[in-house]
This record gives sequence, C-alpha cells and structure tokens, in this order.
Amino acid sequence: MSSTCIIETHELTKRYGSFEAVCSLNLRVNSHRITGFLGRNGAGKSTTIKMLLGMTHPTAGAGVVLGKSINNPKENREMRREVAYVGEDKQLYAYMTVQQLIRFTKSFYPDWQRDVEHRLLQQYGLPLDRKVKALSKGMRTKLALLLALSRRPALLILDEPSEGLDPVSIEELLQALIAAAADGTTVFFSSHQIAEVERIAEHVCIIDRGKLVMDVSLDDMRQDYRRITLGFTQEQPREKFRIQGIQQIQTSGRQVVLLANQNADAILELARSMEPVSIDISAVGLREVFLETVKEAR
Amino acid sequence: MMLWYKAWRESRDRFLLSAVTIAALCVGFVVFHRQGAEISDRPLTYLEYIWRIVYKGYLRELFVLLALLLGIGGLLRERDHGTAGFTLALPVSRPHLVLVRAATGLLEIAVLSLLPALVIPALSPLVGQFYPWSQSIQFAILWTAGGAFIFVIGFVASNVFGGEYTAPIAAFLGLLLYSVIVDLPFLEHYPLDIHDMMSGVGMPYFKSSVATLAGPLPWAELAIIFLIVISLVALAGRIAEHQDF
Repeated sequence: MSSTCIIETHELTKRYGSFEAVCSLNLRVNSHRITGFLGRNGAGKSTTIKMLLGMTHPTAGAGVVLGKSINNPKENREMRREVAYVGEDKQLYAYMTVQQLIRFTKSFYPDWQRDVEHRLLQQYGLPLDRKVKALSKGMRTKLALLLALSRRPALLILDEPSEGLDPVSIEELLQALIAAAADGTTVFFSSHQIAEVERIAEHVCIIDRGKLVMDVSLDDMRQDYRRITLGFTQEQPREKFRIQGIQQIQTSGRQVVLLANQNADAILELARSMEPVSIDISAVGLREVFLETVKEAR
Repeated sequence: MMLWYKAWRESRDRFLLSAVTIAALCVGFVVFHRQGAEISDRPLTYLEYIWRIVYKGYLRELFVLLALLLGIGGLLRERDHGTAGFTLALPVSRPHLVLVRAATGLLEIAVLSLLPALVIPALSPLVGQFYPWSQSIQFAILWTAGGAFIFVIGFVASNVFGGEYTAPIAAFLGLLLYSVIVDLPFLEHYPLDIHDMMSGVGMPYFKSSVATLAGPLPWAELAIIFLIVISLVALAGRIAEHQDF
C-alpha cells in the first residue's frame, strides 16, 4: 500500500494568552501506519489533536487532514466524516444506553459497517441495554472504539487512549489498534506511555513544550540510534566529540557516553582514532531517546 | 434526526418535571378554586381567580423560571461533562447543533404554554365552572412568545458561560436586570415588559375589570419577539462557532 501524507500542519500555533500550548508545529503523518504522538503531560498533544479536529481554533498556522483544511469549518466538517476520534476521558452520553448510542452514532455515517459493529459487540461483551453511565472506564473505551471502528474510518485519532485503563484493557486496546491498522485505517494516537508507543507504533513524533522535537520511524531509530560508551586513560574534552550524528554527549571522569542518532560507523571510527581503552556499543530504546530528546529540548 | 433525539434526551427530565408541575398546579388551582378565591380581599369571579393565580400570578412566575432553566445546556455544559469532544467530532456544524437544541427547547416551551390552556378549560366544568377555550388559547400564544424570550436568555447565557452554576445564575441575573430596566418610570409606557405582555396587565388587549383578553392580540409585538428570539439563537450559534473546546 502506498503511503501518502494524511495529516500535515504548517507552523500550527495555539496561544492561550501569553502561554503557547503549541508552537509553530510542522507535523506530517503518513497513511496506512500507526503513528505515536509522544510527549509529557501538558506538552501540547491534546491541543494539537483538538486543532486537527476543529474543536480548537489555531492562533496561527494551517493544517490539512485527508486533504481538507482544518481552518475551514466546512472542510473540517467534511473531513470528520472520514475521521474517528476517541477522546482522553472517553466520556459518552451518560443518559443513553449502549444500543441508543450506537443507533445515534451510526445515523451520521451512511457507510456504517454492521458486521464490524456486531463482531465488536460480541468481542467486547458490551451490554446493549445498559446505560453508558453504568459502564466502567474500560467498557466505555471499548464502546468508544466500537463507535469509531464500525465506520471503517480512513483515520483514527486517539488522545491518550490507555489513560486510566487496567493492563488487560490496555492490551485489548492495543490489539484493536493493530487490527484497525491492518484493515487499512491510519492510526494516530497520543500518549505519554513510551512502552505502548514502542509496542505498536511504526512512526513516532515527539512533542515537547508545544514544539515537535522528533519525527522518526521506529525502525530507523532502532537501526540508527546507538549508545557508544568510551573509556579513556584520561579525561577528554567534550568538544572533541561534537560531530554530526551525535545527539548527546555525557562525560563522567574518564568515561564518555555518546548518543548517536546517525552516522554511527563514522563516529566509531573517529572514537577509535582517539585510542580509547574500551568501547561499548549498544542499541537504544525509545524510552532513552525520548528522555534524552525531551531533556535536550529544555 | 438523531440530533433532535439527543436534544430531547438532554432536556427531557427538566421538561417532563416542568410539565407535571404545571399540570398538577393547574389541576390544584381548579379543584380548590373556592379556597383559593377566598384568599382575596374581595369576592372574585372564576375568570378573575384563574387570571390572578395562573396567568398573572404564581404559575406565570413559575413558568418564567422553568423557561429560563430549559434554556440551560449546550456545548459548554457538555464540555463540563466531558462529552463535547464526542459531539464535536460528529460531522455536524456547531450552528446546526445550536439550532436543533434551540428548536427543541422552543417546542417544549410551546407545549408548556399549552398545558394551562388545555387543563383549565377541560377541568373547569367538573367543578361547576366555565373557563373559555378562546381565553386560554390566547394566553397560551402570549406565553409561548414570552416563554421563548425568557428561554433564549438562558440559552444565550449557556452559550457564553461554562460551569455548572454560572450559566443559570447569569441567566437569572440577566432576567432580573431586564425586569428592572423595563419597569423604569420612563420605559413603563412602552410595551417592553414581557411579564406584562404575558399576563395582559396594562395592555390594550386586556380588560382588567373582567380579567379577560378583550382585544386582538399584539401580533406585531409577538412577531418582533420571535425575531429577537431567532436573532439571539443565531448569535448563540456564532458564539459557539468561535469557541475553543
């Protein structure tokens, strides 16, 4: 399946008074893959998602989702026909029963997939006649997913989907997202849970203080990112290691730890030319990259 | 169609409670008309009694309060309850959401206005009295217009102020301010007081000596009120369009 850009923002900015929640964000999300939108609490993930869906108006900048402008209310409304959204708190109309809410939601989408609805109803064991207010958060998440996936959306956006869920529910949620992506739905989800992003995402965008600080494929990251630990007989100045491909340098006595994000072979060659007494190379996980990137952005 | 269902479900409890209260009070006022009429300092005819207690008095005041409360709701309230995200992700424009909610509320107001018009003339013969249908229907028309105006005060307040209690308090204060302003001596002579318009007090179409609507209803004024209501609903739509959720 060919991959095209499904979400694109250009200098997208949201200010609340003097506080800049999202700052000149240039985000690109490609189709037919799962993209994790990673960031600390308050980094600007939810605000970005709300701007993409037209819930919040950008202060500046522009964005396009599925070829429709997010700044134009009419186009945004058209876009929402093909986009499903699952919000952070998964609050649904408490006064409706599961069945009433399904009936309500399906009335807005002519291409509602009854087979998907029935399959997920069985799979999730949702009680049709129970009021939404009587559902647990896990059940509400399943219902929200059912409402989202039964439309076979081109794009599924989830804001902190695993927030407040128990481990079993998280696992079911992640499996549902993997299955949705396998069915051709592009999945874009925000999270501050690194492990779950690393588990299912193919691409990750890291946002910190409203700014995009990393946009990388997880395969590329696994292939390119290396931690190189060098031991020397005497202390080394940091400046010696400031070369392309080194994202971070840590020195501790006679030990130098480099975080390389590309060019690892050339860096190793350079390091060897400095005649270290020991060299240790290790792969780097998303957790380390995230922590280093966020720390560096400060 | 399902948006109407949603608007109905969100206001249903308030509406039904209001309807039951109004109907029950009407029944009570008719059944206990003798005891009620005795409270007055002079003997009242049945027409006077009904007008005093229903169309001018307690029931009208209660109706005003209920109309104001029916106007409360909407997207800001949904934001407080956490459902605004779900609603706004639907492929529906915000003005459309606002319009459906307003139309549902206005229909409910019309039904509430009709309740005394149905209950009082229907029950009166059972207690040996008579209340003309023409009177009650005309009062229902006046109440629909007045109720729509009061409703839209609550409706606009709900679209401006978030928070569980802020909108009802703002709406109530707005209504209070309006009532004080139209009672100012230099404004008293203009037909601006919606309360007087609903009860007929001091209006050319009301004959106070017999407590009945005697002249043609003020159709031009009623049309203006509905225009104001429509304009304020449109304003609420515009406000909602520019809000961040």
